[in-house]
Amino acid sequence: MSTKDSRILSQNGGRYPFKVSDEYFDNLTARIMEQIPEEDVSDKNTKVLDINKNRRRNLWISVVSIAASLALIVTVALNVLPTTTQNVEEMRAEYTDDDYNEDLMTYTMADNMAVYDYLSGYAE
Amino acid sequence: MAKLNEQDILERLKDARTKRRAFEDIVNCFSRQLYWQIHYLLQNHEDTDDVLQNTFIKAWKGIDGFKGDSALGTWLYRIAYNESLTFLKQRRQMVSIDDEDFTGQATFVADEDFDGDETEQVLMQAVSTLPAKQRQVFCMKYFEEKKYEEISELVGTSVGALKASYHIAVEKITNFVKAKES
Repeated sequence: MSTKDSRILSQNGGRYPFKVSDEYFDNLTARIMEQIPEEDVSDKNTKVLDINKNRRRNLWISVVSIAASLALIVTVALNVLPTTTQNVEEMRAEYTDDDYNEDLMTYTMADNMAVYDYLSGYAE
Repeated sequence: MAKLNEQDILERLKDARTKRRAFEDIVNCFSRQLYWQIHYLLQNHEDTDDVLQNTFIKAWKGIDGFKGDSALGTWLYRIAYNESLTFLKQRRQMVSIDDEDFTGQATFVADEDFDGDETEQVLMQAVSTLPAKQRQVFCMKYFEEKKYEEISELVGTSVGALKASYHIAVEKITNFVKAKES
């Protein structure tokens, strides 16, 4: 550039006419680092470990849930089944031959005459 | 500005235990340089401060992708430059920042951070009319007295193109001053 054309540039001498306080730069790094989220600092290995930890926890929850369910089923079975068996025995004891015959006649729609005919050998 | 061992920084960035501390060293090392490079475009302390912080936040988010293919300063400079352009577009301070015919100019009389006389005010008004890239090149060459090779590495433009850009900028500034005087 020629001296004539760049008179203002020569006069200025290359000084940038803006200032900023030293305190600004003293605090700048701290202010910027405050805006960097802490959780982003964790590396990928840590994240993998966290995922594995979660998986292990979920696996444990599943195993414990299944075990608890089985225990519940067994408990219910042990408590309810004998009662049921007992009830069947009681019902059997109360269910006499007369009851059986009565039910048989009802289901076969047979009346007393049919029974008598059957017993006397007149039935076809 | 303390010299940073980039190889050491890259190693520390890979380790989660040292990553944050390494990034802090980067901020410490480059904040002053980036501040002025952003200020050349925005010419205002508050805006420069905002953009500078955004630049480092963007850099932190993208630091895992930085493999050292370019110098750390170059990488940061480009983030800062893009952030500055985005800021200018958002604020609509310039109609078209890369428009060669753009004739917008700033006044600095009321600015607390302006520390110049009347001549310097005219000079900065002239600088503010330059397109963004030309302004950056002019400021780094004229105010910082950087070598073209250094600027070339930062902005990714050939030395020849930078020389041409600088001379066009000087011509524009000279014409601006002449027009102001007449």
